[in-house]
Amino acid sequence: MSTTNPFYLLPLAAVCYFVHAARGAASAGPQDKRGAASAGPQNERGAAGRAGSFKVFVLFGLVALVTRTVLVFFGPVTPGSVVAAALEGLRLATMLAVFGTFNSVADPFRLLKLSPRRFHEPALAAALALSIAPRTIVAAGRVREAQRLRGIDISGWRALPALAVPVLATGMEEAVTLAESMDSRGHGRGRRSRYRPERWGAAAWATAAIGVAAAFAFVGADGALGGGLEVSTYPLVWPAASPWLVGAALSLAVPGLLPAGPNHV
Amino acid sequence: MSEAVVFENVTFTYPGAPSPALERVNLRIEEGSFVLVTGPTGSGKSTFLRAINGLVPHFSGGTLSGSVTVEGRSTVSNAPRALADVVAFVPQDPGAAFVVDRVEDELAYGMENLGVPPSVMRRRVEETLDLLDIEPLRGRSVRSISGGERQRVAIAAALTVAPRVLVLDEPTSQLDPQGAEDVLAALQRLVHDLGLTVMMAEHRLERVAGFVDFAVGCRGGRGVAGSTAGRASVVSGPPSEVLEAVGTGPPVARLGRLVGWRPLPLTVREARRAAASAGAQSKVGAASAGAQSKVGAASAGAQSKVGAASAGAQSKVGAASAGAQLIHAHLSAAYGDRTVLERVALVVRPGEIVGVVGRNGAGKTTLLRSLAGVHPASAGSVAVQGGRAPRPGSDVALCPQDPDSLLFKETVQQEVEATLRARGKAGPSTSPASGAETLLEELGLADLADRHPRDLSAGQRLLVAVAATVAAGAPLLLLDEPTRGLDVESKARLAGLLRGFARAGRAVIFATHDVELVAEVATRVVMLASGEVVADGVPGEVIGDSPVFSPQIARAFGPRWLTPEAAATGILQSGSTPASVR
Repeated sequence: MSTTNPFYLLPLAAVCYFVHAARGAASAGPQDKRGAASAGPQNERGAAGRAGSFKVFVLFGLVALVTRTVLVFFGPVTPGSVVAAALEGLRLATMLAVFGTFNSVADPFRLLKLSPRRFHEPALAAALALSIAPRTIVAAGRVREAQRLRGIDISGWRALPALAVPVLATGMEEAVTLAESMDSRGHGRGRRSRYRPERWGAAAWATAAIGVAAAFAFVGADGALGGGLEVSTYPLVWPAASPWLVGAALSLAVPGLLPAGPNHV
Repeated sequence: MSEAVVFENVTFTYPGAPSPALERVNLRIEEGSFVLVTGPTGSGKSTFLRAINGLVPHFSGGTLSGSVTVEGRSTVSNAPRALADVVAFVPQDPGAAFVVDRVEDELAYGMENLGVPPSVMRRRVEETLDLLDIEPLRGRSVRSISGGERQRVAIAAALTVAPRVLVLDEPTSQLDPQGAEDVLAALQRLVHDLGLTVMMAEHRLERVAGFVDFAVGCRGGRGVAGSTAGRASVVSGPPSEVLEAVGTGPPVARLGRLVGWRPLPLTVREARRAAASAGAQSKVGAASAGAQSKVGAASAGAQSKVGAASAGAQSKVGAASAGAQLIHAHLSAAYGDRTVLERVALVVRPGEIVGVVGRNGAGKTTLLRSLAGVHPASAGSVAVQGGRAPRPGSDVALCPQDPDSLLFKETVQQEVEATLRARGKAGPSTSPASGAETLLEELGLADLADRHPRDLSAGQRLLVAVAATVAAGAPLLLLDEPTRGLDVESKARLAGLLRGFARAGRAVIFATHDVELVAEVATRVVMLASGEVVADGVPGEVIGDSPVFSPQIARAFGPRWLTPEAAATGILQSGSTPASVR
């Protein structure tokens, strides 16, 4: 199920920006802010990594939007084909924005502590996967500075190996170290207990409920709420939008207004 | 008492390697031992440690013959995860080994995997937070804490599962001297009280010599010239014998070699006793006659080897002080709204080698980054010759704490040439190849020139990064913690390189927790505390009688001597017992 209707995509993109703005800074929480007061370079870069990852995802989204639109000029160009390509680009951009927002706002490791026990393994894998983007951005910043201080200028394509190789190679080595560490510490022995799982508070339930409701609204859109998920570009007509679905998209901004979740049990 | 770790005729070869990394290793470690694993950079210490919990061969691949048993379980038939309840492993780079995000959850992770009941987990987490003095960090993200804090957290996370054997790869490399002492004392308590067995690789022998009661010496392996073919690659026994066998030791042991004390002293106390008994037996005269020539020989070859030649260095400073200023800084610096450096004033002239010391978080790294022009001053300024701001990479070069950020070429040689080429040092008269060769020769890396940098040990990688940074040819060289993973000999080579660099009219500023390097090579010491300069002067004055930062020789014999060579010369010339002044 996907949509190319700009009346749904644009509100979603706006919601992403709103939630990021409302929560991007707050999600660090008081603990991390206190941390920021004593760690120095590391913390500075850690915070930059998370904020930076949102920017990178949005940037990739815009690149996708433009690239997808430009690609159409390599084929037959009609008003309909240009609009269709632009809308597909918009869909891709919105997806990347959603992903970037999740990355910058949600702490995947806290979600891990909220996840039911049977979902622990996939949740841990997801949390580790989500932490790759911000860590890579931090690593890239560190490598760029290190190479500059050795006299190698990291700008332009010719200098790309000096930036990319240390980032990727160190990333691979760290992945191996992590796998070794997990195995050395008994990961996958089958028996597992849980240390201080987080309780599902009102905000967590409300967020989950809103997400499920919005998903159901879009799934059911083809039937009850009137269509319009796919926009007709041949013939090119002004798309119709269901106010219910626009509302469903906008409702996803509500979690951005909720108070931060409770701490440990 | 039963045996915690047993190696029986173990030979291990990495996949595709021409010669074994471990060869015919036989040893038995009693339960409740505190074991030092020592040996030159790249001699197979990490391989040996990783064989204890089965990472070698389960993760490394390669072929292992013979048997390794830990608490009676074979590491061949048991994967590391199946040994997780008896042996815990803390790797060299703990930052990459953290699995979850918050410090407190990281401490619980291993216990969760073992199914430890929640009430027990809760109690052990609290106890361990206190044991390693990291309670204030409990809610922090492991990615936001400093290197020294990471090492404490990684050790804590290994201890919560209540292992019988704890394996540590350079656990104090990022800790300040006091922090290292606290962590080692905490481990020693567990060894004494609970019978824990600790197996620890560490190059800063002066830190650990007083704690360990057994030693394992690695003396060669993969890629080391004159490899070990035909003999066991590992020796074990009492620490003094093993250090003798692998030809290394803390500063007092090097002093002992120079003046002929047997058995070799390893700790400050043993050194004082050795000195006192040498005096009491009136053998000093005889000893000095025999040993004088040794010292002479040692200091003659000292420029490339150990020997400080501090008199020479001193006069250089005097001559240079009239000269130009390489850098002139008067600055404050901050991260966000937190002040990290508070009105730090520093002027460095050609020929100076400045050591910056201070506890974890004192602002050393920020100072270096500010001097290099990559961290903006919140007040004041940094200026190089000509009064302008430093240009990173040309006026000032900096070798970072983490050498892996630099390495991107296929061979060690190319890595150094890449810098020379980028800096336009590849003129027709001096090809980058010859420039690189000279540098690698000086750092003892010539044998490794064709190796892939990422196949090398941590210490060797660091030296390659140093070479790649020095190659930038900047008149001011900054080094952030340049001795992690370096053995005594590599450290002496590094010291020689820095001296040569300073002699050529340039200057070095290095930040370190390694006070022995400061004693050996620095012409001046700056001590930072909470972002302020609290002392700035010659090493003898600043660290000679510091309870925390003084080098081992000064601890034993007072602030007049800082290095083994100076002490040996002093002892032999005066012909008297160096009675402790304290």
